[in-house]
Amino acid sequence: MLDFSPAELEAVALSLKVALVAALASLPAGIAVAWLLARRHFPGKALLDALVHLPLVLPPVVVGYALLVLFGGQGPVGAFLDESFGITLAFRWTGAALASAIMGFPLMVRAIRLSIESVDRRLEQAAATLGAGPWRVFATVTLPLAWPGIVAGAVLAFAKALGEFGATITFVSNIPGETQTISSAIYGLMQVPGGETGIWRLALVAVVISLMALLASEWLVRRQHGRHGDGDEA
Amino acid sequence: MPALRSLAALCLFAAAFALAASGSARAAEAPLTVFAAASLKESLDEAAAAYASATGQAVRVSYAASSALARQIGQGAPADVFVSADLDWMDLLQDKGLVDAGTRTGLLGNRLVLIAPAASGAKPLALRKGQDLRPLLGRRGRIALGMVDSVPAGKYAKAAFESLGMWSALEPRVAGVENVRAALMLVARGEAPLGVVYASDAKAEPRVRVLATFPAGSHPEIVYPAARVAASRHPQAAAFVDWLQQPVARAIFARHGFILR
Repeated sequence: MLDFSPAELEAVALSLKVALVAALASLPAGIAVAWLLARRHFPGKALLDALVHLPLVLPPVVVGYALLVLFGGQGPVGAFLDESFGITLAFRWTGAALASAIMGFPLMVRAIRLSIESVDRRLEQAAATLGAGPWRVFATVTLPLAWPGIVAGAVLAFAKALGEFGATITFVSNIPGETQTISSAIYGLMQVPGGETGIWRLALVAVVISLMALLASEWLVRRQHGRHGDGDEA
Repeated sequence: MPALRSLAALCLFAAAFALAASGSARAAEAPLTVFAAASLKESLDEAAAAYASATGQAVRVSYAASSALARQIGQGAPADVFVSADLDWMDLLQDKGLVDAGTRTGLLGNRLVLIAPAASGAKPLALRKGQDLRPLLGRRGRIALGMVDSVPAGKYAKAAFESLGMWSALEPRVAGVENVRAALMLVARGEAPLGVVYASDAKAEPRVRVLATFPAGSHPEIVYPAARVAASRHPQAAAFVDWLQQPVARAIFARHGFILR
């Protein structure tokens, strides 16, 4: 049962690539937006919060269609990216990564925001009174203390990207080797008579990858705690 | 605790509401549930509305790729009637005894066409054996097809290209989508320079232009079989399948570009 076909292996490799790129590439934006929502008050803050959560509440196909309209070859952003930087997203793995990143963004921001909010502001203020500029405060005080939430946010985004289907297939369709992730491959196999064993194989791989991601996140958090001499490792 | 009591009351209310709503649905005449291939969207909507106004029986139709629908029926989805876009999926259900073979009929036919966005300026062409369509795709363009392993329109398209000796050149340039209407949408939006859909689909979409019609002999005959789902207990199911073969329904399908059988 565990003999994977080349197409299935390709889908697994592509899923890993797309999910990793989606999670890592959206991390800086995720941290920035989370920090803004956690630490700053400004007109339109509620609107930003709502916008960030939009992919969470909209049907994934709607998100995919919106991406197609904006970032497709004929879309305003897509045409601009293509003409100015030669970047294409339509029907390419980059588009799949964008779709997955957007679907996972709300989860990432929520996790990181909660973590930043739990950092004692007095520590940040103390660092500031000792002469640290805002970037240094962020890098040396806020970031390390918010680290568990940042890791959790990245892992959530990775796991969501691994399972993303609706937005991906609407935006970049199902192209073996380019946009056929594990989810798309399973969907295709579901519709072919006798595809069951392939489905179970791929589902098993997805479970194993998710478990490994969770274990890795645990390790990353403990490592950070250990380095900073934090005693309570529950 | 007042909060707990309010929560309990809310749950009771929700449960009572759900029970009442389901009860009232059973009391009225339950709608007829039809699972139909995506390419039947406009025509079957019109036919179903005509049936509802003629008989007072409400019909609701669920459109998707025939492959997905057949899978759902295979898993016990509560459909009363199934209209497929190819014979394979209907045969599959019939072999498992999931459709009533006595009510099965080859309802409609269709033609397969090559389309391009109307705005692209592409001109109608004659399909010749071994013809290379890649120049029409440009450097990075893709040809939008239903997934060729499962979606009927994709299967027909692959068969047609194979018989014309064009498949090996086009296969790496394919964008597989989950049903024929998704392929239509990609071409209509100009995202795909080429696509293969049914003639009836092209007729429904003003933003695409038909470049060529595939020769009828290049692919298995396109047949839309319809049948009553065996597990259905709706009294009108067989009557609806029968009504689809009557003149009123046939006129509707003909108007939408289908071939009558």
